[in-house]
Amino acid sequence: MTGGPDLRVRLGALELAHPIINASGTYDVLAVAGHGPSTVPFSCYVPKTVTLEPRTGNPPPRITETPSGIINAIGLENPGIEAFIADLPRLAGLRIPVIISVGGARPADYLAVVRRMEERLAAAGAGRSPAIAGYELNVSCPNVAAGGLSIGADPEALRQLVSAARPLTARLLIAKLTPNVTDIVAPARAAAEAGADAISLVNTFKALVLDPVSLRPFLGNRTGGLCGPAIRPIALRMVAEVAMSVDVPLIGMGGVTSGLEALEMIACGATAVAVGAATLADPRAPARILEQLSAELAARSLAGLDDVRGTALRDS
Amino acid sequence: MSAAPDRPDGCGPTGAVVVPCPVVEVRRFADWSLVWIEAPAVARAARPGQFVMLAVPGAAFALRRPLSLHRVHGDRVALLIERRGEGTRRLAELEAGAEIELSGPLGNGFDIATTCSALLVAGGIGVAPLQFLADELRARRIPVWTFVGLRGKRQLPLLTVLDLPRQTVATEDGERGIHGTVIEALDASPAAAEAVEKGAEVFGCGPLPMLVALRDWASMHHLIGYGSLEAHMACGTGACHGCVVATTRGYLRVCADGPVLPLQVIGERTLAARGTP
Ligand SMILES: Cc1cc2nc3c(=O)[nH]c(=O)nc-3n(C[C@H](O)[C@H](O)[C@H](O)COP(=O)(O)OP(=O)(O)OC[C@H]3O[C@@H](n4cnc5c(N)ncnc54)[C@H](O)[C@@H]3O)c2cc1C
Ligand SMILES: Cc1cc2nc3c(=O)[nH]c(=O)nc-3n(C[C@H](O)[C@H](O)[C@H](O)COP(=O)(O)O)c2cc1C
Ligand code: FES
Repeated sequence: MTGGPDLRVRLGALELAHPIINASGTYDVLAVAGHGPSTVPFSCYVPKTVTLEPRTGNPPPRITETPSGIINAIGLENPGIEAFIADLPRLAGLRIPVIISVGGARPADYLAVVRRMEERLAAAGAGRSPAIAGYELNVSCPNVAAGGLSIGADPEALRQLVSAARPLTARLLIAKLTPNVTDIVAPARAAAEAGADAISLVNTFKALVLDPVSLRPFLGNRTGGLCGPAIRPIALRMVAEVAMSVDVPLIGMGGVTSGLEALEMIACGATAVAVGAATLADPRAPARILEQLSAELAARSLAGLDDVRGTALRDS
Repeated sequence: MSAAPDRPDGCGPTGAVVVPCPVVEVRRFADWSLVWIEAPAVARAARPGQFVMLAVPGAAFALRRPLSLHRVHGDRVALLIERRGEGTRRLAELEAGAEIELSGPLGNGFDIATTCSALLVAGGIGVAPLQFLADELRARRIPVWTFVGLRGKRQLPLLTVLDLPRQTVATEDGERGIHGTVIEALDASPAAAEAVEKGAEVFGCGPLPMLVALRDWASMHHLIGYGSLEAHMACGTGACHGCVVATTRGYLRVCADGPVLPLQVIGERTLAARGTP
């Protein structure tokens, strides 16, 4: 990227080489990269949401294609925080920072995960580990009946969760919002006021697909979360609304598949841009998006992303 | 290969190659296309039972379609594609000279390291990966019996592209070979009795109800059996946990823990899963 536009961005205290990161749950460095950590096409790695206890996830089918999108109901399948910690040395070679996505059925579960992780990182001789830059509180997963939806959709509950998590860590604290609300600004404000360093948005939209033969819900969980290009204009609007209302940096996501679309997120106020569905459809999409983003800036004779951020929000 | 069926938590396959590759030959017939692709990196690493994820040409946004490796010759791989929906229709229309993006080889494949004799049982398009398996077994001079079950007349053209050792055909409408399901054919055929006599390992691919019947048939005859399963996929590499099937060992990812699983892990919950045809 030498000689090209400056793609570095800052999420609070965290400096990233470029704005393209992976959306939680859609990329696994251990499974995908294969050729060593240097080939990871993201500036930061967000593993799949981890919960206090192991979760087996939802019954299948869990995923399928929809027009210009993907619907999924994985159900936060994950091995739990202890197994996650035991596995950290496998990520030790990673040259990019890691942001741990945290989920839970109750606020106390989120706090327990952050506390446990901080203990592990503070312990002397804790063993090899990648650089843990912070936490993304996934208060938005629409798939778990008893899960995050209520917190993300309830600004007061979100405020309390972020306030309680804030003193537990000096690392970056991010709230990832659900779009399944009438007003996206209220939870965003609550999270920012409670001390979140950044806000991620959006998670998936609650949706339904039927089996064409049986006319019954196709997914084992019946409903699922919609992502991909189908949701991009709505995600873009929500990023813009939140950018106009809070001062913390935003990680914008929802259907981004090209450099221009990433640039649009940034023009609507995003600092970083996460990519999910596009990577699932094409493992080379992230690298391509990054190249295209650089080319978009060069073609517009822009020196860096600060020149673009929020331009869509101005009156003139 | 890190992904084994007894390691449901194992990481997915690594080293999957993602490349645009030239289509070198296409044979279109009835509902199918036999597509040969020049893909040296995939061909060299491929093992029978593995699959590739194929980008749908001309689609604005589409998940890749999982397709089994049907044959491997030198630097070329063949896919046998049955037209079902929009994606396979577009893939089946590929012409020689086109470029196609694919990732692979993916999945665990059939483990034939200790196989002394093999009974291959296919249902319809499930025969696709079994051809590659048969080729590999034949190259190792391992005795093979194959059974191909077809719905009926409409599926007969499939037989024209197959080259299977000691092949028995069964059709449900009685158009060709034994009249009945492929499992009924196993019960009726002296070739199957011979395979049982030799203690052959059973390798199956086809619709889930067929695999369940094959599980019961194999266990009745005290044979070890494996089946290749299907599921809707997104990443194809084990990352998204989207393609799980419910087994007696819990949820297993078809793309990374499979697609080949011991027939014994197919249980009531596997069949009960909604959306399964
Ligand atoms: C490991 C594996 C190997 C396969 N090998 C072959 C093969 O060698 N030859 C062959 O013809 N078919 C094979 N299939 C089935 C093939 O993947 C589907 O027929 C195909 O994905 C259907 O896509 P479509 O666009 O035509 O159908 P649509 O119904 O329009 O597809 C919509 C979505 O559902 C998925 N989907 C629909 N049906 C299936 C299915 N049966 N299995 C998995 N995903 C499905 C599609 O991939 C797509 O994401 C294999 C499937 C798996 C899992
Ligand atoms: C298969 C799949 C799994 C996901 N898992 C998670 C998860 O564990 N935690 C989370 O916060 N978001 C999860 N998401 C949501 C994505 O991180 C992202 O917010 C959403 O997909 C929108 O971005 P996209 O359109 O680029 O995919 C998942 C999405 C998909 C498709
Ligand atoms: S498709 Fe199998 S885990 Fe993603």
